[in-house]
Amino acid sequence: MNEFVERRLTLRWQQAKRAYDVVIVGGGGHGLATAYYLAARHGITNVAVVEAGYIGAGNSGRNTTIIRANYGIPEAVRFYQHSLELYQTLEDELDCWMMYTTKGIIWLAHTETAMRAERARSLLNLACGAETVMLTPQEVKALCPQLDLSGGGRYPVLGASYHPAAATARHDRVVWAYAQGAMRLGVHVLQHTRVTGLLRDGARVTGVETSAGPISAGQVLSAVGGNVSTLAAYADVRLPIRTHPLQAFVTNDYEQAFQPILSDTELLCYVSQTERGQMLIGAEFDAQPSYSLKSSFSFLQSSAAKAMHLLPFLRNLRVLRQWTGICDISADFSPILGETGVEGFLVTTGWGTWGFKAIPAGGELMAELIASGRTPPLLEPFRLDRFASDQTMADPGSTGTH
Amino acid sequence: MLWIPCPTCGRRPVEEYRFGGELRGVPDRITDPIERDVDYVWMFDNVAGVTTERWFHQAGCRRWLTVRRDTTTDTVLG
Amino acid sequence: MPALETLPGLRIVASPEALDAAPWSAGTVVLRFAPDDAFAIGATAVDIADDHAIVAEESGFVGRWLTREELDDRLVTHIEWPLPTALPALAQGLIAGVPAKLWLTTDRVLLLCAAAYAAELADRLG
Ligand SMILES: Cc1cc2nc3c(=O)[nH]c(=O)nc-3n(C[C@H](O)[C@H](O)[C@H](O)COP(=O)(O)OP(=O)(O)OC[C@H]3O[C@@H](n4cnc5c(N)ncnc54)[C@H](O)[C@@H]3O)c2cc1C
Ligand SMILES: [Zn+2]
Repeated sequence: MNEFVERRLTLRWQQAKRAYDVVIVGGGGHGLATAYYLAARHGITNVAVVEAGYIGAGNSGRNTTIIRANYGIPEAVRFYQHSLELYQTLEDELDCWMMYTTKGIIWLAHTETAMRAERARSLLNLACGAETVMLTPQEVKALCPQLDLSGGGRYPVLGASYHPAAATARHDRVVWAYAQGAMRLGVHVLQHTRVTGLLRDGARVTGVETSAGPISAGQVLSAVGGNVSTLAAYADVRLPIRTHPLQAFVTNDYEQAFQPILSDTELLCYVSQTERGQMLIGAEFDAQPSYSLKSSFSFLQSSAAKAMHLLPFLRNLRVLRQWTGICDISADFSPILGETGVEGFLVTTGWGTWGFKAIPAGGELMAELIASGRTPPLLEPFRLDRFASDQTMADPGSTGTH
Repeated sequence: MLWIPCPTCGRRPVEEYRFGGELRGVPDRITDPIERDVDYVWMFDNVAGVTTERWFHQAGCRRWLTVRRDTTTDTVLG
Repeated sequence: MPALETLPGLRIVASPEALDAAPWSAGTVVLRFAPDDAFAIGATAVDIADDHAIVAEESGFVGRWLTREELDDRLVTHIEWPLPTALPALAQGLIAGVPAKLWLTTDRVLLLCAAAYAAELADRLG
């Protein structure tokens, strides 16, 4: 974060203490939100967030900022709907403008199979409290006049599901607002401090080893995004997680307004417009697990080709920037939150390519779990031990990498 | 970009291949047979560093190969 | 690009040693897709010293002979990987993003691909 931004926020950086009640590893959205809710809702302020780089250096500062609740299983829809509702009042709660804008998301279908899947999704969403309706091609065109309904002659639009509450928000403002909120209440945020190991007493985790020395803790929460397997290995915890890069890019300004978020699960790409007028394009994650942040030309080429089938005007724009984040993707494409079987060590992970929208609910419910020692009902389906008990939450079709 | 050498076809970009997963064992410290099964089915080493994995040369000879790769730099080791 | 035409032949999956030793009739182009997998263009029969060999008529490939100049002018820009220099040689991989193969000799080149991809390949090569 640069000085200009720091002067506009009231972030009071503190010296590290030797011990805290709770140490949260990772200053992304999930770590900072958990710290904020621990302090704000539960009065637990003797908390440190330990961040290897700067806050928001991970995926929370690299994502395409789509917030929505149209998932494919009831447990997920209820969780993300709750998160979306928290987002809707977050600017007031944290007293910070986050550029939260409701846009609506259109999920295109090009085949009868996809139409059936979207119909099922919209009924399920409706039943779980997240409004989603079906649109005819003409209704899609009315919402998104730039769309070529023939899909470049190759991917004709048969219809779409439409989730009007979908929104975007400025990602680093969300990160900074939670940091500011937490620090005002006494939480320490320690930047440029890398966790290099865990302190153990027998099996129990009693703190963290850092580049600035050991810090002991009553409880340690891992919120390190794509690096979670390394951290969990320090506690001998095995996770069903693979770390895959996800890329995105923006073009130069498009002078017309592009209102909705357009998503295509068959082509596996999605498009929206930033507040600055740039077109923001994302697609599927890289096939091989990797911790490398290198972007690739082949991603740019294939995702640009896909998006141009739908939106021919993109041809006249130029690519401005392309970047990569490394995502913690779980084996069933649902998040993993809570206890790990090792006392004193909790995780919030499996946020994969879709965890920005989950920051408020993930933080709020993790804080409740840490404070009370009990798993809140909305988190119950997402426990790590679901894999051992054969109760996985398979939802691959809904994640759509955004 | 990741280039992978195929013993039959030569050095090729990653787009020609399908990723087949890491080669891994269940850690010895897990002794309970059911826990070992759970680990085998669901868990990944997901190493940040050198890993050994399987790749399928889909656009070329259509044969499987074993590759050692550094996941922090996305480069294949000799 | 003129149409790619069916290349009839024999497909043989056998031990690498048996394939190395197979007595092909003179002039037959034999493409070694893999150590244990060969495609003999135009062949109708072969004697393979492997009891477990699979020998089948293959009609799933289409191709066209090109000059070296056509290769340089029309194909090379669509190939990301280095072409072999020791000839003759088989090269296989993505060409214009489509799985395809080249049989390279000093004076001419056979471009071939699975019949299912032919239209797409021809379309992309223009
Ligand atoms: C290109 C892209 C597009 C995306 N689009 C969307 C979208 O549209 N909608 C959506 O909902 N989600 C999206 N996501 C996913 C979303 O960004 C993530 O799921 C979310 O930001 C995860 O937040 P986090 O706090 O768990 O992790 P992160 O934000 O990654 O934070 C983890 C932090 O931990 C730190 N850390 C790591 N190791 C250590 C260590 N050893 N010691 C100390 N600190 C450490 C890192 O520096 C980092 O700051 C996208 C992701 C990417 C990459
Ligand atoms: Zn090969």
